[in-house]
Amino acid sequence: MEQTTAVPIQLQPRERPKRKFRRNFWGYLFVLPAIVIFALFLWYPIVKGLMDSLYKIDFVKGDSFVGFDNYRTVFNDPDVRIAVKNTLKYMGLGIVIGFWVPILFAIMISEMRKFQGFARVAAYLPYVVPFVVLYGVWRWMYDPVGPINQVIKSFGIDPVLFMVDKAWAMPAIVIMETWQSFGSAMLIYLAAVLSIPRDWYEASEIDGAGVWQRIRHITLPAIKNQILLLLMLQLIATSQGFQTQYAMLDGGPNNATLTYALLLTRYAFVRQDYGVASAMGVIMFFALVILAIIQYRLNRNGGID
Amino acid sequence: MKASKSLERGILSSYDHQKPSIRLGYYLMNLIVLVMMCVMVYPLLISLFNGLKVNKEVNSFPPTFLPRDGWHFDNYKRAWEYIDLPKYLKNTLFIFGGNMLIIVIVIGFAAFALSKMKFPFRRGIYYYFLLTLFVPATTYAIPNFVNLKELGLMGWYGAIWLPAGANAFYLLLLKTFMDGIHNETFESARIDGASEIRTFFQIAFPLSIPIFATLAIFVFATAWNDWFWPNFMLGQDYKPLSAAIKTLVLDARMLDLNMKFAILTIVMFPPIMIFLFFQKYILRGLYLGGVKG
Repeated sequence: MEQTTAVPIQLQPRERPKRKFRRNFWGYLFVLPAIVIFALFLWYPIVKGLMDSLYKIDFVKGDSFVGFDNYRTVFNDPDVRIAVKNTLKYMGLGIVIGFWVPILFAIMISEMRKFQGFARVAAYLPYVVPFVVLYGVWRWMYDPVGPINQVIKSFGIDPVLFMVDKAWAMPAIVIMETWQSFGSAMLIYLAAVLSIPRDWYEASEIDGAGVWQRIRHITLPAIKNQILLLLMLQLIATSQGFQTQYAMLDGGPNNATLTYALLLTRYAFVRQDYGVASAMGVIMFFALVILAIIQYRLNRNGGID
Repeated sequence: MKASKSLERGILSSYDHQKPSIRLGYYLMNLIVLVMMCVMVYPLLISLFNGLKVNKEVNSFPPTFLPRDGWHFDNYKRAWEYIDLPKYLKNTLFIFGGNMLIIVIVIGFAAFALSKMKFPFRRGIYYYFLLTLFVPATTYAIPNFVNLKELGLMGWYGAIWLPAGANAFYLLLLKTFMDGIHNETFESARIDGASEIRTFFQIAFPLSIPIFATLAIFVFATAWNDWFWPNFMLGQDYKPLSAAIKTLVLDARMLDLNMKFAILTIVMFPPIMIFLFFQKYILRGLYLGGVKG
């Protein structure tokens, strides 16, 4: 073995300079377009955002340095407090209402002896339709004369004004989004559940474990990695969510669905204050960094136990 | 993922299935899944039927499922004439095609170089790409918008195409996949005197087709769904389908509800049909992306 590897090493010095230059040249040439694109559309905007957050941006008169004034504006704006609260509410509701749904259905569908394929396709179906189209459909679903209120009324309960009631607007959006996208998370869980070795269940059944114990001690621990990953991805996504809130309700009723990212786009496009919008973006970055550190700490502590 | 193995047993064994209490639970579980399936399909079907009703019926309570006052197929004809869907669909496909081309050339080449070629600072360059994953889109979205304006890309497809190549997640997926291809294949091609570009197009690209297909699904989903930024960046004639639906249908005040549903249904059903026909391949592609990611 050593003999064979020794031969090329001896040969190398002779060919090295030309070949190495050729290799390096092509290597750099291949990564060059990506380096330029990443610089132009990621790194430059990131740095520019940091800089802009310290300036008053004026496209006509030119930018002027204002120090931390933009950050002061953000921290003193009562709308920001509302937006942060709404965003935390949105993230929380996303977990309470939505997060467990794909796990539950993945386990249930994996146990089905017939029509597994149908259930899988039906769950994924709304995900292939453009979100915008579904916003239109669900506005009517939530309407006082819509089908959901028909069901509510048939139980003899007063109709719920989902799109007007401050308490119901955010849950209504989370329910819609859960309906729309739990199928894609379910497929990931389903693949993980189906890849659990069958003999684990066999062994635990022989040891007298009941169905719930098997789920609790075998199925759930086996998909723990997927659960943690998707939880993290969902938190990152919902912390920045604003498009559904904007399209369905434009932040209303009475700012009940005004999320942080929606307020940020409002600062940019409605108030034309790009400096404050950039400052909000930078604050968002640090908030997510803190979230990542907390998650890392929890993970490490969890590992010790 | 195939059912052959899971048929033997799952969490429940065939012995469990003989117990009455578990049988009852099993039927209950099937019922819950059935209810879920109905809940998933109902909003899609009711849109189809709402598009066939007269406007008064759509706005009346309680809502009907099937049209009561006749099936008005001409609604769909009028809906088709109301909005130039083929034009906007063409724009969506154009955006998708351009994005995909940029991704193959920019990210494909970079992933290939980082995975299969050796050159100084390779690791540093890799981190230069990957570190962008830690910055949330919210942070750079607005500066990027201003930047695109200053670069003079606004109003043209370039404002969507070029930034599509700046995606570290896709790069990570591609590089991880290419790492799994044996080096010997490329070594022998190089010894035979193939240029690096030829090696990429004739060996690396064909071998990576599965992961490019997965990427294509992701890229298509983006082009298909994105409406917020295209609405700001592109003129009316360049807008993709989703952006046009938002401005011309959802935000339209004077449009009758039955017409709205007819338009939404026309947009909804082609992708559903395509998905139902190709679901085996699409779900497999997504599965591959999930495993490799």
